[in-house]
Amino acid sequence: MSQTPANPTVTLTIDGHAITVPKGTTVYHAAKQLGIEVPIFCYHDRMPPLGACRMCFVKVEKMPRLQTSCTLEATEGMVVETESPDVVEARQGVLEFLLINHPLDCPICDKGGECPLQDNTFKYGPGASQYVEPKRHFMKAIPLSPVLTLDRERCIMCWRCTRFGEVIAGDHALKGHERGFATHIDIPPITMEGPSKFIGNTIEICPVGALTSSAYRFRSRPWDNLGTPSVCTHCGVGCAIRYDARGGEITRVRSRENAEVNDVWTCDVGFFGYDYVNSQDRLSRPLVRRGDTLVETSWDEALNLVATRLRDAGGDHAGAIGGERLTLEESYLLSRLYRSLGSANLDYRADSLAAPDTRDWGWGTEGTMADLDRAGAIVLIGCDLIEEYPVVWLRAKRALDRGALGFAIAPKRLEIDRYLRHNAVVRYGHEALVLLALSKLVAEARGAEAPVEAAALVDLDAAALASRAGVSIEALRAAARDLIAHPPASFHVGRLALDGPDPRAVLLAANTLRAVCGGGALSILRGRGSAAAAAVAGMVPDALPGLAPTDDAAALGRLRTAWGRDIAAKKGLDTPGMLGAAAAGELSFLLVAGADPAADYPDAEAWRLARAGVGFLVVQDVFLTETAKQADVVLPALTHAEKNGTVGSIEARVQRIGQARPGLDGARADATILQAIATRVGVPLMYGSVHEIFEEMTTVIPGLAEGLAFPLPRRTARVEREAIETILASAPASGGGATLVPVTSLFRLGEMTKRSPGLARLAGRPTATVHPLDAARWGIANGDEVEVAFDGRTARLFARVTDETREGQILVPRSLRLGGRAHDGTVRRLAPAGTWA
Amino acid sequence: MNLKKNGNGGRTVQRALIEGAAILKGMGVTFRHLFRKPVTIKYPEQRPAVAARFKGRHWLTLYPDGDERCVGCELCVIVCPSQAIYVKAAENTEEKRVSKGERYAEDFQINMLRCIFCGFCEEACPTGAIVLGRDFELADYSRQSLIYGKPMLQEPYPGASGRDPHSEV
Repeated sequence: MSQTPANPTVTLTIDGHAITVPKGTTVYHAAKQLGIEVPIFCYHDRMPPLGACRMCFVKVEKMPRLQTSCTLEATEGMVVETESPDVVEARQGVLEFLLINHPLDCPICDKGGECPLQDNTFKYGPGASQYVEPKRHFMKAIPLSPVLTLDRERCIMCWRCTRFGEVIAGDHALKGHERGFATHIDIPPITMEGPSKFIGNTIEICPVGALTSSAYRFRSRPWDNLGTPSVCTHCGVGCAIRYDARGGEITRVRSRENAEVNDVWTCDVGFFGYDYVNSQDRLSRPLVRRGDTLVETSWDEALNLVATRLRDAGGDHAGAIGGERLTLEESYLLSRLYRSLGSANLDYRADSLAAPDTRDWGWGTEGTMADLDRAGAIVLIGCDLIEEYPVVWLRAKRALDRGALGFAIAPKRLEIDRYLRHNAVVRYGHEALVLLALSKLVAEARGAEAPVEAAALVDLDAAALASRAGVSIEALRAAARDLIAHPPASFHVGRLALDGPDPRAVLLAANTLRAVCGGGALSILRGRGSAAAAAVAGMVPDALPGLAPTDDAAALGRLRTAWGRDIAAKKGLDTPGMLGAAAAGELSFLLVAGADPAADYPDAEAWRLARAGVGFLVVQDVFLTETAKQADVVLPALTHAEKNGTVGSIEARVQRIGQARPGLDGARADATILQAIATRVGVPLMYGSVHEIFEEMTTVIPGLAEGLAFPLPRRTARVEREAIETILASAPASGGGATLVPVTSLFRLGEMTKRSPGLARLAGRPTATVHPLDAARWGIANGDEVEVAFDGRTARLFARVTDETREGQILVPRSLRLGGRAHDGTVRRLAPAGTWA
Repeated sequence: MNLKKNGNGGRTVQRALIEGAAILKGMGVTFRHLFRKPVTIKYPEQRPAVAARFKGRHWLTLYPDGDERCVGCELCVIVCPSQAIYVKAAENTEEKRVSKGERYAEDFQINMLRCIFCGFCEEACPTGAIVLGRDFELADYSRQSLIYGKPMLQEPYPGASGRDPHSEV
């Protein structure tokens, strides 16, 4: 190996084997590369070394005492022994001490069978203990959170869990309390935020059974579990996970390593949100409407009815919504079925009022999440990263720790505020103005380096824009300087802005800012499950499969070859368009697959009119959702844990999922349902297996490949004069009352997560977050039950008084469905805190 | 007996005598046993006495206060060479206490058709909950009835299985 100053190496000898490693490598890692196992407890290779457990002792020549190999940097000529008699004796001593107060209750411990302490004791332990005195006893099984159980007797004080909270998640969810003999792990006495979103990871990395999952508690032993590698589909990150099943019941979820996506971590919704698969409420028989009620029927009858109504509706009068909960193969089948019938009324966005042009502003990232590792600045525009895509935050935090700049523009102070350089808490709906002011300041500061078109920004009065949006111009000036000093910037537009009064203005403004910054990825972090990739698979009204323009001759040619028929080069209706057409009586057939617009579509009234006007509503779902309750036919579907195929993530990364348990009796995979309907309407979609469907997809969609992120198209970064005019025209006037801001909470996702008792408890009561000044004015205290009145409607919530929000802005749950407008609301106290359990 | 004429009369006589003696010896054994006490018994009218360390059907034993010894750890499940045992554990609560610790067996099944009565489960059990008793009359008419659940396996009162409820493991 050549020794260059750029990557200096050192050569050392471990157990007689020479190895050359980069300078800075620890002896532990050098040994690992040689295949020599050194036992560890406290060291975890995603966190810096600590040397707390003393298990990794090795003997180093010319060093007076044994050294901890996980903290010892390898140096030139070092001679290391890992199996010398004094090392063996030292390990036995360490283990004997660790076991002095360990209860050895392995038979009833959930970790038993996969426990590093058990394994290391078996392999390196002394066999017998000299300690005969009574052991220390604590109360067993202390619930630290609805999903976390602590057994203090088993803890060996390795500090992995507390360091995870400090180094990886940054939420400091667990801390060491007291000192010396009295040291123990506990939650901090005062927590500023809600429950940790990553506590499941501490369970995974605990080397003993001290931290165990309350959801998995006593459900199974490790040797009972049948593991199936899969992908989590709750949010859009697409974390690699493994389902463990026993006797057809999903017992737990563990994270799997995928360096490109989740590294080795997963959030708590992924860890604990699996109970819905085993739920008793699952639909297992097709339902058909008879008058006011849904009655059970046979598959044949239901499918025949659906097929008849779809054939009658024909091309332009049929629509389909779905994709988030479908596999990519299923989205592709649905798109092929509809396009073959001559309809492009397909949309993957079931819960969005705005559906901007997919080829410009389609949901998903530009580039990949791993690009954050190289980002100089991370700009979050109305994007509550930790609540919506928690595992992306872990990657972002790594970037911030490395020195990247964090900047948030949102109508609330984000939970991750303390890691951000700037957090501009703007007036709701005014993000675009802040971005425009910032663009101007950046253009000004960059002078000649800014793009020529930036001249269009010169006339703007940044100070006036900032004051309209309610942020300080000085802070913006500082942010502009920092943005220029930290290239490249990575822009993330999220739901707080996209579901606001004018999402298009925010997108145009974000594009303007990135243009004056000299580029940078513009990611639109929106959509759960496979949403972004469902668009690639074809569930999109204004593009062909693969997101090709609808008149792209090459793409149409590929479809003709694969499907054996001509596809019309036309655009269809998006979700708001379909609902509008339905309300006007122009849509006679609507298929909703794995979506719940009746509960999620932000404009409840629009959905109600659409449902009343649509001729026939078919729902494919796992549960009797709000939409399913209103349907004409409900077809029971299978969950992701019961299917094979591929799913996509927010970066349109295609990943394979595996069937972890047999499908529920009576329910069918969405693909099977769609194939049965297709056969009945006369456009048979014949495939031998889901693999065959994917094979065909790769021929129709160039660039689609398993494991890779499909490159999503994005509008070119440029400063547009029309854009500036649109933005200036869009800004909503500030109202007189308090503005209601719909916010997302990670633990309140819907039909699936509410069936996990732990998550339901983590979600807690629905809250209205009120600024202390407002609270004082309205006579509200923290925890009071309050009534929020707006638009002639009322909602009962629980007050949370913090300065997370602005004065005059109340944060309310998204489930109130405010319809994308800025509402003025009033808050009235109903009952003081504590009177309501 | 096949006495071949080979022109040697003396050898033939000698051989006949040897073989005749063998018959007498064999019959002697027969007659000796004819007057001994029989080793068989008239089952089922008469019951056999099994050895002290005989391994028969299993019992799930109780503590003197009636709490179950089994903690649902499934060590018997993993050690069982014929995969005859199924255990599903659950957690004790304040309202419903079944065993001493945190964990108990909500379901415990032994498939007597698969069991080879090796006693490994008894050896593996950390609480001495499962013991092999001395009952061997397990025949039945259906396969289903030979999958013993908790009602079949649990001893009816502490000590019913013959295990001293006060003794530790």
